[in-house]
Amino acid sequence: MTSAPTSSPAGQTGKTTLRTRASSVRWARRREVLREVMRNPLTVVGFVIIALFLLMALMAPLLTEANQPDPYQSPRDWGNIDVPPGVEGHVLGTDSTGGDVLYGIIWGSRLSLQLSLTVVISTLVIGTIVGSVAAMRGGRVDNFLMRVVDVFLAIPELIFALAIAAVLGPSFRNIILALAVVFWVKYARIIRGEIIRVKQTDYVAAAHVVGDSNWNIYRKDVLPNAVTPLVVQATLDMGNVVLIGAALSYIGLAQAGLTEWGAMVSAGQSGILAGQWWVSTFAGVAILLWALAFNLVGDGLRDALDPKTEGR
Amino acid sequence: MSVETPSDDWLLRVEDLSVHFHTPRGVVQAVDHITFEVRPKETLALVGETGCGKSVTARSIMKLVPEPPGEYASGSILLRSPSTGAVIDMLTAPMDQVRATRGDRIAMIFQDPGKALNPSLTIGRQLAEVFGEHRARMLLTQAGIDPDHAPVGSGAIASQRAGVIRRNFFHLTHPGQSRALRAAVDDAVINALSDTGIPNPRKVMSSYPHELSGGMKQRVMIAQALACDPDLLIADEPTTALDVTIQARILDLINDLQQRRGTAILYITHDLSLVRQFADRLAVMYAGRMVESGPALEVLKAPQHPYTQGLLAAIPRAGTPRGQLAAIAGSVPQLVDPPPQCHFSSRCGWSAEVCTTHVPHLIGLPGERKVACLRFEQASSIGVEEAEMPLRAAHVEVGP
Repeated sequence: MTSAPTSSPAGQTGKTTLRTRASSVRWARRREVLREVMRNPLTVVGFVIIALFLLMALMAPLLTEANQPDPYQSPRDWGNIDVPPGVEGHVLGTDSTGGDVLYGIIWGSRLSLQLSLTVVISTLVIGTIVGSVAAMRGGRVDNFLMRVVDVFLAIPELIFALAIAAVLGPSFRNIILALAVVFWVKYARIIRGEIIRVKQTDYVAAAHVVGDSNWNIYRKDVLPNAVTPLVVQATLDMGNVVLIGAALSYIGLAQAGLTEWGAMVSAGQSGILAGQWWVSTFAGVAILLWALAFNLVGDGLRDALDPKTEGR
Repeated sequence: MSVETPSDDWLLRVEDLSVHFHTPRGVVQAVDHITFEVRPKETLALVGETGCGKSVTARSIMKLVPEPPGEYASGSILLRSPSTGAVIDMLTAPMDQVRATRGDRIAMIFQDPGKALNPSLTIGRQLAEVFGEHRARMLLTQAGIDPDHAPVGSGAIASQRAGVIRRNFFHLTHPGQSRALRAAVDDAVINALSDTGIPNPRKVMSSYPHELSGGMKQRVMIAQALACDPDLLIADEPTTALDVTIQARILDLINDLQQRRGTAILYITHDLSLVRQFADRLAVMYAGRMVESGPALEVLKAPQHPYTQGLLAAIPRAGTPRGQLAAIAGSVPQLVDPPPQCHFSSRCGWSAEVCTTHVPHLIGLPGERKVACLRFEQASSIGVEEAEMPLRAAHVEVGP
């Protein structure tokens, strides 16, 4: 970064340079956070795993030939049932209905991405709105909303999601819905606490002092300074959602034969005692890596964004 | 009962203001029936120890006390326009009028500049907010846009309400005007910054608060406060969080800007040595009440209220022997549902029976001075000069 040209007077050219510089400062700051995140080797590992999963999900139709009509059902190779990994055409083996394990894992990554993105983004929006209303309004509104949140938090996530999904009937869409219902409360609680903290800061008082409106203050002063813990939680939840989603489809709440990793673990389970370890193991490893990667990145983000460690 | 003689020349009149806080333990009377006025272009120092209600008073003027738990229990805060003479009451005015007054006619600088700037916005953006809030039309005019026939979007951009999408859309549809508008905002910000003696304002403008030093941040705060040329500046202990070396420079800066622009200053502090240098008049608060007021130098030279005397005696001087720092015995009473009495009576060396049963009111003394002490009230019937009160015995010599 070079300093703005001080020699040229307040001419048009000087202005343009100044603009570019202001935005370059913003980018420099983002790069700084990124550098901080990347300092931790474990976080880098997490990023690499996530990148590989994304690549896999993106290139699924190129890596394998999509099954017709539903690509999220493994193609059945009835001539090769329960073949171990390494057999020609079935690198990771097949399950007891001739479904290819590698195909399942590749297309399963798409389902995991769909599940985690849908659930996390929708709950992030709902949670932020509920938490913001509670914190900005305060009083009875706050009390009411937070008691609702308390009720949701009182029931364990997995059990609650299980109950909802069971009532709605077995389908992948219902798993997404059930998880969305369960996960928003955490965000509401976090953002409420953060907003109440930020509201008491002097810079919010200073914004009132210059005559800013409440909405403007919320938009420019309160929210940007309150979202950091939410970002960390959302990253961790990208893993958690898939973990719980897998648990739900493991116990049979997704459609039968779906290339969902949890369902695959379940399908391969009966064969384990007969020595057919590969189905459950590879699907389980996929779940593990996914959850692990997002947890590593989430931890790294927390360390980088924590104000206490800032400016090291 | 009201002893404040209303003068004709006033800018701000706080009349009979009481601010209560409702807490689980009871009602805290943080500010209890205080009355004072600030005249145009003068500096009034509001002095008192921590928790005496001086900051609550300052925030009340801005109508910034959170309700609940706070409550404006009584009184009015009148602000008069020096040009038109129109008066508004900050406590009863509609909210949009209050917002239009904040930042435009009354501004405030805070104790800790490090905490009073939004850490996630650049300095330039934060200053632009003030201009956008109060001077959007001026910005449009400077950009060569007629404010009454401004193209769609430019109004929102000038008032700094437009988001990224609207800003860039306008930039695509009206590139020339968009650039002119940006230049107008930048100019206004740079002028405000350089007016407070900030070197290289262009660089500071695109910095984030954490990249600046404490003194620099306070200069930015001052620039922000004085951006719209307010009539009144409330300075809430503006130098407490700064290094001693920078304190003097910041105070000189405030003083200098006051001279140039004719801003009145309500200066909230506990530092009496600064009061002597910068204040025209002085008001002393104790436990939510005003105990003494008058021209600063005279009050400092001959304090009348026992509390003011104690406060002045507690300042260590070069001649003070080692290990003999004076202090006022006792501590500030709890203000939760207090009994009707003089709050200083428990610490006062000259309290009498009447001090624990009655509330003292400000009574006028010669030379625009006022004091709230029941012993004076008793004595006033026979004349202060003859009252030879024990107060006199404790008369403190204060240096020039």
